Amino acid sequence: MSIFRIWGRAAPRCLRLTATLLCSACFAASALAQVLQLAPVAPVAEAEEAPALSLQDFFQKPVGPQGLLISDRLRQANGKVVRLTGYVVQQEIATVGRFLLTPRPVLMSQHADGEADDLPPATVFVRLSEDQQDWAVAQTRGLVELTGTLEVGRQEERDGRVSWFRLQLAPEAIRGMTRFELTQYLHSLQHAH
Amino acid sequence: MKLSVLSPLSALTLLTFAMTTQAAPTVTRLSPPSELFSSGQAAPIIARFLPGQRFDLQATLRPDDAAKSISSARFAIDGKAVNANVALKVCETACLKGVPANATLASVRAVSVDKPGVHQLSVTATQSDGQTVTAHGNFEIVPLVPGGQKVKNIIILLGDGMGAAQRTAARIVAGGYAQGKVIAPLAMDTFPVTGLVKTASLNSVITDSAPGMTAYVSGNKNNNNEEGVFPDDTTDPFDNPRIEYLSEYLHRTQGKALGLVTTADVFDATPAGNAVHTSSRGAGTGIVDQFLDDRHLTGLTVLMGGGRKWFMPSTTPGSARGDRTDYAFSATDVHTADIVKRWGAAAGALDKDRDLLGDFQRAGFQYASDKTSMDAIDIDKAERLLGLFAHSNMNVALDKIDGRRNKARGVNGRVVDDYGFPDQPMLDEMTAKALRVLDRQKKGFVLMVEGASIDKQAHAMDTERWMLDTLEFDRAVALAQAYAAQHQDTLVIVTADHECAGVALIGGSKVSDARLQALVREGGGTALRDAVVGVYEQAGFPKYRIATDGYPDTVDIDNRLLVGYGANADRMEDFRTNERPLQDSQQPFVKKEPLAAYPAGPMARDADGKYMVTGQVPGDSAVHTATDIPLSAFGPGAYSFTGVIDNTDVFFKLAQAATRGVVLPVGLMGTARK
Repeated sequence: MSIFRIWGRAAPRCLRLTATLLCSACFAASALAQVLQLAPVAPVAEAEEAPALSLQDFFQKPVGPQGLLISDRLRQANGKVVRLTGYVVQQEIATVGRFLLTPRPVLMSQHADGEADDLPPATVFVRLSEDQQDWAVAQTRGLVELTGTLEVGRQEERDGRVSWFRLQLAPEAIRGMTRFELTQYLHSLQHAH
Repeated sequence: MKLSVLSPLSALTLLTFAMTTQAAPTVTRLSPPSELFSSGQAAPIIARFLPGQRFDLQATLRPDDAAKSISSARFAIDGKAVNANVALKVCETACLKGVPANATLASVRAVSVDKPGVHQLSVTATQSDGQTVTAHGNFEIVPLVPGGQKVKNIIILLGDGMGAAQRTAARIVAGGYAQGKVIAPLAMDTFPVTGLVKTASLNSVITDSAPGMTAYVSGNKNNNNEEGVFPDDTTDPFDNPRIEYLSEYLHRTQGKALGLVTTADVFDATPAGNAVHTSSRGAGTGIVDQFLDDRHLTGLTVLMGGGRKWFMPSTTPGSARGDRTDYAFSATDVHTADIVKRWGAAAGALDKDRDLLGDFQRAGFQYASDKTSMDAIDIDKAERLLGLFAHSNMNVALDKIDGRRNKARGVNGRVVDDYGFPDQPMLDEMTAKALRVLDRQKKGFVLMVEGASIDKQAHAMDTERWMLDTLEFDRAVALAQAYAAQHQDTLVIVTADHECAGVALIGGSKVSDARLQALVREGGGTALRDAVVGVYEQAGFPKYRIATDGYPDTVDIDNRLLVGYGANADRMEDFRTNERPLQDSQQPFVKKEPLAAYPAGPMARDADGKYMVTGQVPGDSAVHTATDIPLSAFGPGAYSFTGVIDNTDVFFKLAQAATRGVVLPVGLMGTARK
């Protein structure tokens, strides 16, 4: 298994095979990992992937004249481990320890708009694990698949926003970038792929 | 400033020291704000009011010692004592950081002055040891003069963030050019008078939508993020010194009604800045409650837009209501009890479980949740109208039109479907209904119509989306103009709160859309820019085909209009309309965990064949600029709006027209009045 050191701390282990754009940008780091490991990495929990739940199925659509009608599927998934697919919301002011996941890409101009925002009703507040609360997730374009424990119900967040759908990620879901990776990544922005 | 509790000996020492250095209580804030108080200069006058327009007097007083207190305070105008009880509030823990616990606010709510001219405002405070302090400020009462025709209805169409470049871009897209001449002008282009407006707020040359709106409808500068109030030293966002709005003044003195139509969440600053008084534009629960609870002050009759999340009880999924964004005035604390007593305002309550939608309906508001239900309302019988068409902001014009066109083809799964609100009305459709309801108001009305996402999409530097929102806005302008042409006692102004993003129309694409896509696939960088951006005569006249629904059949035309941004953040540019991404089930390529993360620091952005435009501002969004914006006017009194004017001047021109009749501005034809 490859282990990445991030900013002087040991990072969470990489447990799953990934095909991210970021990994392709950090080819050198991967090459190093190849040297260290003797066999292709196999996911530890290969047997069962958590059931997938679509953000499209959270509530009855179209929304009627009042509020949201939570779907039975969502209600049954409350408290369980699920797989969600969506877009990471691009935030003007990045929040640490959490990010937002939506069925469509959204840009938030928090300074100008505050809570008069373009977030759809099916916005999931995705929480990093306890000891990752001071980390920020890099803006990741395109669809992202996440596995975590789903929580449905009203909660007031630290910044005063009310969330209705939350996903608690395990520490393994987040991988800190090495200094080298970050440099490579920023460098790759200026050149054609 | 922290003062610890002193022992008697050290207190004596300090008192001796104080007497030696003549410590005295101080006045650290005086409202209404003035340069006279801040810097000692009598000019420029900061606070101006109409004769009889209500406003609050307030001062923050600081004892010179932690052991002392302020025992009394009184206000005087032009040396004459203000005949009202002064409400004192000791800060304790209720004030901003850095304000000592024994600082005291002294307020007199809802005063007004009739005599025109500049007036001196004084506050005199007495400390517990007998020492006094006096401070001076000033304000002006702008006279109302006998004029010509009286205006019965006022329509303010506000394109949020809409500067001159945004208007020009919309004209190019909607009307097209032939050999340099416009084929079909925008409705706002045909207004006979246009002036330039200075948009600075009370605390910056760069304003935001809160003071950007309230300057027009209160005659006064507010701080950024604050609406209908002057700043104070408490953390409570609803107890600030208030300024009476145009809607409140005209409702109180003439019985006029108020209509608010927007494509934003209705709690947002532009609609709220016509009717709600708060120093926190984000206090959503309290703001929407105040819309209903203070409708007897504002005459609120029509409210349409997004923001349904604030109207559901907090037990309903999706509700955003919460105590943190709500308010409740204490009945025993005279500091806020006087707001209720002297303004006649509602006391509020921490009521996140309130069924506000139901309360609106019980108050006689017909409710529309989508275009179909809006059209189904018997509009000629509806006395009041509430429309809540989206969870927060409504979807933008480009996405609403896309939804309609696809629905007509039997295709679902578009952006509006994903949001769960597939049947949202366009701004002109909402405006038409609002006008039908308000037209029946015997005493006339004030209507504010906002094209909100011109600004929101300019922040996102999403060119096509703000261009089409400007087209949508102009269609509402055309309706207002037609109404005013038929009801010739109606004054219409088209304006903006500020400019957004420093939009610049830099040229036209040298290539077809197909070639542009190929260039993007080949890889970006400055090679993309150099191949695409046609400057000077290379730009020609971009030609958009307008479909029967009034919008371009596509914005991805060959030789498209190209837009740059002067107030931009870092972004990746490929000159094409930002993708309407496929639904998740249709996307073949999905990134799986783990996601890359970093300790909070610089952001990395994805590339994808685009070229990186380095931003002038930090963050991800473009920002507002200080540039003057054009204001166009139609109807009686339109000539009043020419020149380079302050946004607060607009309020006095509107009020003059609606109370004593229209007047020619000085210097326009050599005479002051008709």
